[in-house]
Amino acid sequence: MTGYRIGVDVGGTFTDCVLLRPDGTLVVEKSPTTPEDQSEGVLNGIGRLAEAEGIAELSTLLAGTESIVHGTTAADNTMIQMSGAATGLIVTEGFRDEIEMRRCFKEDIWDPALPPPEPIARRRVRLEVPERLTAEGDIETPLDEEAVRKATARLRAFGVTSIAVVFVHAFTNPVHELQAREIILDEYPDVELVSLSHEVHPKPGEFERTSTTLVNAFVGPPIVRYLDNLEARLHAAGFTQELLLATCSGGVASPAGIRRRALATISSGPTGGVVAAARAAHEAGLGDVISVDMGGTSFDVCLIRDGKPDVKSDWNWRHRYCISLPMVDVHSVGAGGGSIIRARRGTLLVGPDSAGSQPGPVCYSRGGEEPTVTDADLVLGRLDPATFWGGRMPLDEDASRAALAGVGTPLGLDAEQTAVAAVAIVDAHMCDEVRRVLSLAGADPRQLDLVAFGGMGAVHATAHARALGMRRVLVPRVAPAMSALGLLTADHLIDDARTLLGDWRQIDLARLTALADELDASAHEQFEIAGVEPGRIRQEWLLNLVYPGQTFDVAIPIERTTGEPIAPAQLEAAVEEFHRRNEASRLIEARSQEPFVRGIRLVATGLVDQPHLVRLEPSNDAPVPITRRLLHCGGEWHTDAPVYDGETLRPGPTIAGPALIQSRFTTLVLGPGDVAATLPNGDILVDVTPAAPGPPATARI
Amino acid sequence: MTTQSIDLVTAEVIRSAMETVCFEMATFVSRHATTPILNQSNERNATILDAQGRLAALSVGIPQFMLSATLPVRFAIDFFGDELKPGDVIVANDPYHGGGHLPDFNVFSPVFAEGELLLIASIQCHHGDTGGAAAGGYNTMAKDIYSEGTRYPLLKIIDGGHERRDVILTMRANNRLAGFIGDLRSQVGAAQLGATRLGELVDRYGATTIKAAVEHTIDDARTRFSAAIAEWPDGTYEADVYVDSDPQGNQDIHVHLAATVEGDRLILDFAGSDDRPHISAWSTFGNTRGNAIAQLASLVDPSIPKNEGFFDCVDLRVPEGCCLNPVMGKPVSSGTHHPGVEVGDAIAVAMSQILPSRCSPQTYKYGSPRQMWGEVDPRHGRPFFDHGGEVNAGWVNAVEGVDGWGALVSANGNLIKAEAEFNEVNFPHFIRSRNYLIDSGGPGQWRGGCGSHFVKEVRTPTSINQYVVNQRHVHPGIAGGQSGSPDVCVISAGTEREVVVSPVVTGHLLETGDQLVYDFGGGGGWGDALLRDPQAVLEDVWDEYVSVEGARRDYGVVITGTVEAMDLAIDEAATAARRAELEEKRA
Repeated sequence: MTGYRIGVDVGGTFTDCVLLRPDGTLVVEKSPTTPEDQSEGVLNGIGRLAEAEGIAELSTLLAGTESIVHGTTAADNTMIQMSGAATGLIVTEGFRDEIEMRRCFKEDIWDPALPPPEPIARRRVRLEVPERLTAEGDIETPLDEEAVRKATARLRAFGVTSIAVVFVHAFTNPVHELQAREIILDEYPDVELVSLSHEVHPKPGEFERTSTTLVNAFVGPPIVRYLDNLEARLHAAGFTQELLLATCSGGVASPAGIRRRALATISSGPTGGVVAAARAAHEAGLGDVISVDMGGTSFDVCLIRDGKPDVKSDWNWRHRYCISLPMVDVHSVGAGGGSIIRARRGTLLVGPDSAGSQPGPVCYSRGGEEPTVTDADLVLGRLDPATFWGGRMPLDEDASRAALAGVGTPLGLDAEQTAVAAVAIVDAHMCDEVRRVLSLAGADPRQLDLVAFGGMGAVHATAHARALGMRRVLVPRVAPAMSALGLLTADHLIDDARTLLGDWRQIDLARLTALADELDASAHEQFEIAGVEPGRIRQEWLLNLVYPGQTFDVAIPIERTTGEPIAPAQLEAAVEEFHRRNEASRLIEARSQEPFVRGIRLVATGLVDQPHLVRLEPSNDAPVPITRRLLHCGGEWHTDAPVYDGETLRPGPTIAGPALIQSRFTTLVLGPGDVAATLPNGDILVDVTPAAPGPPATARI
Repeated sequence: MTTQSIDLVTAEVIRSAMETVCFEMATFVSRHATTPILNQSNERNATILDAQGRLAALSVGIPQFMLSATLPVRFAIDFFGDELKPGDVIVANDPYHGGGHLPDFNVFSPVFAEGELLLIASIQCHHGDTGGAAAGGYNTMAKDIYSEGTRYPLLKIIDGGHERRDVILTMRANNRLAGFIGDLRSQVGAAQLGATRLGELVDRYGATTIKAAVEHTIDDARTRFSAAIAEWPDGTYEADVYVDSDPQGNQDIHVHLAATVEGDRLILDFAGSDDRPHISAWSTFGNTRGNAIAQLASLVDPSIPKNEGFFDCVDLRVPEGCCLNPVMGKPVSSGTHHPGVEVGDAIAVAMSQILPSRCSPQTYKYGSPRQMWGEVDPRHGRPFFDHGGEVNAGWVNAVEGVDGWGALVSANGNLIKAEAEFNEVNFPHFIRSRNYLIDSGGPGQWRGGCGSHFVKEVRTPTSINQYVVNQRHVHPGIAGGQSGSPDVCVISAGTEREVVVSPVVTGHLLETGDQLVYDFGGGGGWGDALLRDPQAVLEDVWDEYVSVEGARRDYGVVITGTVEAMDLAIDEAATAARRAELEEKRA
């Protein structure tokens, strides 16, 4: 590596930036997110990196930068607000209602009053055209071109600007979808996006493909507009390389790839954090952990077992739509430092609304009038008004106190009591979410450690761990910008497949080889864009096999040399291995059936240079508090709680709570009895004291 | 029983862990089975029971089938007594020993702690054949249970960890399908997995704590459900619902319910239901019981855990010999569906007198599942058997505040139905349509969900069995809402071989290119259609759920223009007049 690398994660409140220097060391900066035009905040953040690096001109830094990896929650935000493009759908005649029928799935099997999801494309803009392929991919009914033309005109008249096209069996033969795109572009040249199902999700299952393609068409145009703008600004500011976008599977994509499949950016920011958390847990010698990313607007939870986060594909539901791309299994709730505290009907409510970065919490003095969790934390002594956000944003504690009192007074609570109650409520919400994620995975929190990050993660982590019965909390040194770091340091992972269906004895090996070559070329293109050298790419080839009638592919490795034709002997060996595995698990009358080939899959990893680990010199001196202040934690007030400077801590004597460890962008709150040790790499590991016996503290007031 | 005290956190962790074990068992079957009804449609129902055979936990599946898993297991506990041992796996499918109908195979495995039976992991799946006189497990013409297939009240398929080859041989010899034993083995594997996982839980927490956790969760359900009943007004509420006919043409199969609320208890008395001995519409007691509790669970807070606590609050009275509790020997394959699900309809209609806002029949009107088979799939020369588990929409009622939506009711559970892109590979046919049908949803202040127009075209000569209901006695509306459209099924439509099915066809031969055209009925509406917001009616017309004519006829909303010309608008004055006219007609 000769130049700088920059990771940028745009969150709901802050835009986090990490600079990886050519010598492998890191610089972390934060800048407020600018919701109107997020590229503004990105440029500001990178500007701060230049400043921290002592580079006068942004253009000098950017000219010396070899890659920028960008993670964004733009797709999630679009789905949460349902603010995507006016989207229409063109489908094979007879398949107009897949998106509503959802294979008969409903999220709650016991609730007849469950409302439907908000529609992306109402039925009036879901239009059918005559065309049909057989399951073998042959044309049975030719595409009715005139019908496509009419449908396009009608969608246009309805104000549709983005069109999804989903034809049955298109993943085996895309000819009609490609033809349809030409006609649509001819009829409606100004259409923002034509999203073809075989490009977004080339796999069988018409509902899953319809849903995924439709969501892609919906979120695509706003994301592409944003990227165009950001790229233009970066290039104008002197950046000469291509901007890379992080994807939900933990890989990266070029803007060109994202133009076709913008949906792949969904949840990409949180994914970066999980990747970095897994690495931090490994370095600290922890076993299975749960990662918790708490920022201003969202709280993201992921279970990491055996060092790896779960990656799920096919039946992924996000924002009530099925998104069948492989994705790291991060669960998100809308709660964070910006969650607004209100009084309603004699009780206190926290969230789900967030003040975001604009106007932000009251204490930011940016016009926010409603108190937030951050205001409560400030009044509880957990944040330092003078040094918050590296001292760049002095916090107005009096304003927070007044706003909290304003909400609490009708309930008979003063500012401090309101703050205590609000924090208890938001902590309870968050712990419930963690329990839900763990129970889905069959994990017991008491056998896991917690890795806490995000700007607010360390503030609430020990309280969460205590409530969940967890004994250790790891707060990485880079906690406030973990996602940005993860984007920069995650190995690039490409997991892609092509479908070819047939009895294994009759499968067309030339066709299978051609599909494999297609996968190889696509992976190489992505790696090249990401700057991964060929020597650092690892490839694993797998053949998807089933017994006739099975629907879940079993991937069997094949010994294939990339670039060479797949030989009959390799196929035979894979089939033999498939039989053997089934016999071993005694599930199936294995050899009485002939396996069915369902396609070829490539799992390719591009190894990325890792930052050098910091090795802090141990010190025998007990840390000295920089100040003392009134602090509320562990359910009580503590006068003169010591405050330590996190930037100067060394491995050696530990720190016991109640105490605060203050860093530039976050504060670690230690409850009474908690003991914090500094690890050689600067991460902090806390032994959490268990909650007192008796009923758990409730959020009721 | 002594109740060990247990902290709430541990109880909750164990409860969710058991639900997760159920989920793992069900997923195991989906991943390994070869039949689409199991691996695509997810008709597999996992439960955990305690040593008394009480339901302790369930997760994914079809509510009424999960809730009916207890009786075969209880029979096994009684029958085997001390002969039950670690490593056993038992298969049972007998309707007259706790089961529903022969295609539903219960497979379960006991878990012991220090020599004492503690828990049982159970998984029930629907199989594609049961032996007997007709292929496919639904011999709708059967006169008795013996011509429906082979009964297995209990078989130890795995005896103390050793597979019984003689049992496998016998079961294989009594089934037509090559994949039957493979699918059964996927169930055996799931039950073994469940038992292993439960064993790990016992190792971690100890038997005493596990027992206390089960007791706690059953108690929680009982307390919360009985508290809900206590809020309902005391009294007796009656309902009469009907099935058009049994498969053999006996008309108007009658289900009568008198539901009595007495403080915090509920009595469901089905005395007065059809008891004509010659009919062929029999729902076993276990099946009746599962359907009853599934409907009751939809009336209360969905977050109450589903377990034995629900059964404890209900006094279920079903006279032996009536269609909901047949004497031994009656055929039951199609009775599991009809009159089985009409139990839910009856409860919804009866309880709507006091709980209108949540009442919605969580039921369906399938008749019997469609079966299509042929000697040769021309693409590979092998025979095929298609169980017809495809996506279709129908019978989704509205509730107060929510129009019927989606394809099926919530209580069809995790029945995720098969897709054309998989089935067209497995079977030689085309799905030509499954679109919603205009004007099929029952009119109401909230509109019933639309039914669907389903067209399947065969690519090679194919035989079909189909039983159709919901033609005269259709899915009811609630609280003044109207019923949905009826089912209409036409086979070899438009050819000289055309048959309008009423009530049944068996072995009809479709020639290459022939179509099955099945219009599935709509769901019932909720509340008075004349109170529906005219703007909502207009939106429905834009989306072709309702036609311009339907808006005028059913809702009294007069709309000018056409969807085609994109110029729809409400004629306010004409609407007021039309609604007044309809009001007057009623009076």
